[in-house]
Amino acid sequence: MKTITLRNTLLLMAFLLFLALIPGLVSEFNLNLITGMAIYSLFVLSYNILFGNAGLLSFGHAAYFGMGAYTAIILFKKLKFGILAGLFSGAATGALLGLIFGLFVVRLGGTYFALLTLAFNQLVYAAAEKFRFLTGGEDGVAAMRPKLALPGMASIDMFSSVNWYYLVMVIVLAGGAFCWYFTRTPLGRLNECLRENEDRARFIGYNVYASKLAIYVISAFFAGLAGALAGAFQEFVTVTFINLDKAAEVLIMTFIGGARYFWGPILGACFLTWLNDLISSWTKHWPLIQGALFVALVMYAPNGLSGLVMSLRDRLWAKAATPRPAA
Amino acid sequence: MDWITTLAVQGLHGMVYGMLLFLVASGLTLIFGMMGVLNFAHGALYMLGAYFSFSILRWSGSFWASLLVAPLAVAAAGMAIERFFLRKVHAHGHAHELLITFGIAYIIEELVKMIWGNKPLLVVLPPALSGSAAFFGIQYPVYRLFILCVSLLVFILLFTLLFKTRIGIIVRAAVANKQMTDALGFNVPLIFLLLFGMGAWLAGLAGVIGGPYLITNPGMAATIIIDLFVVVVVGGLGSVEGALIASLLIGWLQSFGILFLPQFAIVFEFLLMALVLIFRPHGLLGEAK
Repeated sequence: MKTITLRNTLLLMAFLLFLALIPGLVSEFNLNLITGMAIYSLFVLSYNILFGNAGLLSFGHAAYFGMGAYTAIILFKKLKFGILAGLFSGAATGALLGLIFGLFVVRLGGTYFALLTLAFNQLVYAAAEKFRFLTGGEDGVAAMRPKLALPGMASIDMFSSVNWYYLVMVIVLAGGAFCWYFTRTPLGRLNECLRENEDRARFIGYNVYASKLAIYVISAFFAGLAGALAGAFQEFVTVTFINLDKAAEVLIMTFIGGARYFWGPILGACFLTWLNDLISSWTKHWPLIQGALFVALVMYAPNGLSGLVMSLRDRLWAKAATPRPAA
Repeated sequence: MDWITTLAVQGLHGMVYGMLLFLVASGLTLIFGMMGVLNFAHGALYMLGAYFSFSILRWSGSFWASLLVAPLAVAAAGMAIERFFLRKVHAHGHAHELLITFGIAYIIEELVKMIWGNKPLLVVLPPALSGSAAFFGIQYPVYRLFILCVSLLVFILLFTLLFKTRIGIIVRAAVANKQMTDALGFNVPLIFLLLFGMGAWLAGLAGVIGGPYLITNPGMAATIIIDLFVVVVVGGLGSVEGALIASLLIGWLQSFGILFLPQFAIVFEFLLMALVLIFRPHGLLGEAK
């Protein structure tokens, strides 16, 4: 793993500065597109804690995303929650749901894990469709983004795309930083160890069940937060936040970006959001193109776009490096 | 209607759906047992059966022709999936195999929407299969009895093939131990291909006869795949007998669930799956691996 060098610190500062300057550089339409990319980046990062790090293939991550979205929007509407309170309640209910389902699913691995997460996702979807008094069923719920009221400051209007962009960026960067930091904590390390050899981890004396459960809940927490952000962003939540297509979307984004590198899924989320926007203006068969791209990558580039980028870099690097030993 | 007839009718309803489910699930569970890959595209193949049948019916005007041809076309599609996609990612491991079938299911669903549209399609049944029949004082739709007969017939054929013939022994041997069967000189990749074709044929057949009953629409793959997964988990991945028991259980849970507690019919199914996973994690008749 790379250490924190001066160069990396400077690169990070430049990147943050760039993000801070974006609202002055692009149109409002593109700013909203970038806000969407940021939200989905958080969603895929939460997913990759399971998929990339733990090697667990979940087909039901939309359950937590949708739970967060519904919680936030219903609290905004019915109980007049503030923006931060609503968003974090969404993350908390996502985590709570993750805890309840996690008790069952983390006992299993491989195909059974995939199946059970899928079944639980359908259960939540069915509930969202049935509990019309809360969720509005197919019609959905709508609520305006409330103002941001920080103690000791005047309340900030979230109706403006620029203000909303900054709030999303701060939350996503903080969440993303935590996800990155998590891979370096003992629990994050154990997570990768469980992927490689669960029996050995158990033999060394780790409580595998409790560790997996904790990891699952953390992943669900960030999925819930991303869902709450997405709900507040669209100011409208329907069952499309929680259905199988949404569960498939996060899997496809993560896979197309490449699960092996931390930044891979983010690349996938940004690339697909951008491509979706670009292609939607030409054709309505976007899912078909997305599916074909997915199949092509599964077959020919199992490490996704980030894997392609890295192998390209290695190849160029090797070309530059080979002449030297020959001389 | 008195209670006993109501129960009998609901029992019959559940059996019709259960047997239909078994037709699709039997192929899925055999493919899983043999290749270790859960075919996400299986529901999509079932849907293709229904749509192929719709188009063949429109061209030829004969339901019987579609009953014969559509499952064969689906079998061809299934074999193409195995030969040109699944086999190529085999070396990358099970997660990739699962993902590729998932991607293919996604593409088939979109193609179906593109070709046949988003609306449900109405299949006109031949006069011999419409209307209802009366027996023991019950009026029951002829078409549902037809579904029951076809699926029972296929079930008997499948069990005879699997448990009474030499081909069946080889298939079961390959399901139990792939390497050993290979070492004994059988062409295991060919067996895989043919088994995949047969599973697709069964799914296609279920689609043809299930289409008019469960309504041919682009969501039918996503609807059945959930039930299918519950069936294979409850029955035990790889077990045909388990799939039969679980299919009938699901069918009856749904038909009686709707009768007694209509709001919670879907919950029973997941409750059953959760209970099985807690007490018998490898399914009722599945073997721990």
